Amino acid sequence: MKSILLSGVFVLGLSVAAYAQEAVIGAVLPLSGSSATQGDDQRRGMELALEKINADGGVLGHPLKIITEDSGGRTATALDAAKKLVTVDKIPVVLGEFSSGITIPIAQYLLQQDRVHINIGSSSTQIRSLGKGAFSVIGLDDVSGAFAAQDVFSGGAKNVAVIAPNNAYGQGIANAFAAKFKSLGGAITSTVLYTEGQTTYRRELQQLAAGEPDLYVYTAYGKESATINRESFELGLNDKKWYGLYLTMCTADSDPQYVEGQIGMDLNYIGGNGGDYQKAYEAKYKGGFTSTFNGFAYDGVMLVAAAINKAKSLDPQKIEDAIAEIGKSYEGATGPILLDADGQRSTQPYLRLKIESGKAVATQ
Amino acid sequence: MSDFIIHVTIMSGLYALLALSLNLQAGLGGLMNFGQIALFACGTYGAAIAFHFDFGAVSGFVLAVLAAALLGWAFASVGRNLQADYWGIVTLALAEVIRIIATNEDWLTGGAQGIGGIPPLYAGLDGQTRQLVILATVLLLVLAAGLFCRHLIGGRYGLSIKIMREEPQLAASLGYDTIALKRQLMAVSSVLAAVSGFLFAHYVSFVGPEQIDSSETFLIWAMIVVGGLGNNAGAIVGAFLLQFTFAFIPFVKDWIGLPSEYVAAGRLLLTGGGLIAFILFRQSGIVPERVGGRRYV
Repeated sequence: MKSILLSGVFVLGLSVAAYAQEAVIGAVLPLSGSSATQGDDQRRGMELALEKINADGGVLGHPLKIITEDSGGRTATALDAAKKLVTVDKIPVVLGEFSSGITIPIAQYLLQQDRVHINIGSSSTQIRSLGKGAFSVIGLDDVSGAFAAQDVFSGGAKNVAVIAPNNAYGQGIANAFAAKFKSLGGAITSTVLYTEGQTTYRRELQQLAAGEPDLYVYTAYGKESATINRESFELGLNDKKWYGLYLTMCTADSDPQYVEGQIGMDLNYIGGNGGDYQKAYEAKYKGGFTSTFNGFAYDGVMLVAAAINKAKSLDPQKIEDAIAEIGKSYEGATGPILLDADGQRSTQPYLRLKIESGKAVATQ
Repeated sequence: MSDFIIHVTIMSGLYALLALSLNLQAGLGGLMNFGQIALFACGTYGAAIAFHFDFGAVSGFVLAVLAAALLGWAFASVGRNLQADYWGIVTLALAEVIRIIATNEDWLTGGAQGIGGIPPLYAGLDGQTRQLVILATVLLLVLAAGLFCRHLIGGRYGLSIKIMREEPQLAASLGYDTIALKRQLMAVSSVLAAVSGFLFAHYVSFVGPEQIDSSETFLIWAMIVVGGLGNNAGAIVGAFLLQFTFAFIPFVKDWIGLPSEYVAAGRLLLTGGGLIAFILFRQSGIVPERVGGRRYV
């Protein structure tokens, strides 16, 4: 007990002594609660970024440090965490969260306190209107939805059915997809937003099939996607084409025979820094990406580190200016990052993928 | 640090209002409400919808209070012939229905994306002063609600509710209309929950359906169980204790120097372990209910 106390005091003393020089940034992630899988994956991305930054000499000549707080997937806890990072740890930049419903209130708080916020996981278009000091390294729903709609339409499908989870992500991307697809002249036969965590989605799939679409557009995480793919196979719905939004996420946990021949879009991890990043992730965590969100977390940390080095200061205002400057052309692991006047990622290169012999391969 | 403590105190105060409301129902009236968060939702969505449609904060408050009182009344009416445990299940289901409506009716509630940008109360003041004024408002409300609950419990009305809780048939035979008593109690306590929700919405500035997940109800339950079921001071103590524990666990992690992947696990372990310890060693909570205590009938 005594030694624990002593080491605690030692760590405390060390952190206080080192504070003056060390660059410390904060993160609020859902490490517990319903989005814990994605949150932990975000943490992995940050860890990889931290290793790379510190191997390359750190920030302002010192190793970078990230204080990661758990949001528990709750607004109230996330706000506690953000307030702790600002008022106690005196942190200039905070990255996070995953759910739009949590990202928006913590970002609003951070901006009120003149701190910088980097959105690494939420894609609600409401984030665009947060104001100065808020940046997104992830393309919002309008960016990804529009790409997918264009892709599906040019592939020849005119009547499509959409199935997505009934949460902020699913509603957002389904709406963005539908808006763009209709503007191109296509029609949505039906949109089904399913409740996560069900043991079966047969009812939803039958409802979807009733509209007799040319193609099914779907997006789902882990366990749900495995069930949806299996049941659509059993119901014979795979005689039509299936288009996955973030295809590798949709097919990661599914039996390869159910998803063979599916097409879709995903983030571009190939080329630039992406290939090295993917290798580093697979080497460290012994497997493919758990979700698509680790890459944005990685890019968020890398961008902030570059900005602090450029600004040569830990002053939030100077970091904000540096991010805006770097964001004019930055090569991230998730492809080139171009931030628009609102600090949002305006373009994002996506890949068109197809599942062949159980593997996602790029087409075009 | 002081800013952080002010923030945690405000949040604790908001939870204390919720805990007082649940304590009136469950502790005093024996009404096992597992849908408490739906009453809170009336408050948050009242504020959010009023903001969304530009009705102004005052009408938001009126909307919140009326909706909650009506919902409380409806809760009591739905279960008028059910036993306590079955009624509990009905309230849980009703709260889920409300959450699902909030998730899907995006023309009204913003759907899963929620409604953001709700302005803070006292928007004219600067940040620091505003925090202090909000703190004062919340603490005054907690005090007022605490006194109000004490008054309610201490009087004839409280006694009739207690008879209804312990011996419903005896209460009926003495001429008490138990269904009316339940309805009144639910409507009154719902207003407290709505006030908490209204303030929460304006404080956090965002309202969304994940805030009204059923797990939140059980957090409020944990507060009154730890504090002492049936005791108003207990409800307040429980809310502050749990909220402060939640808020200060990250510091423990920093002090010990735990790696970030243990943050969540540590928090869950501490809160879960703490709750089990209470249930094992102090079943009646920190401030137990006083049976046959002072009353002013």
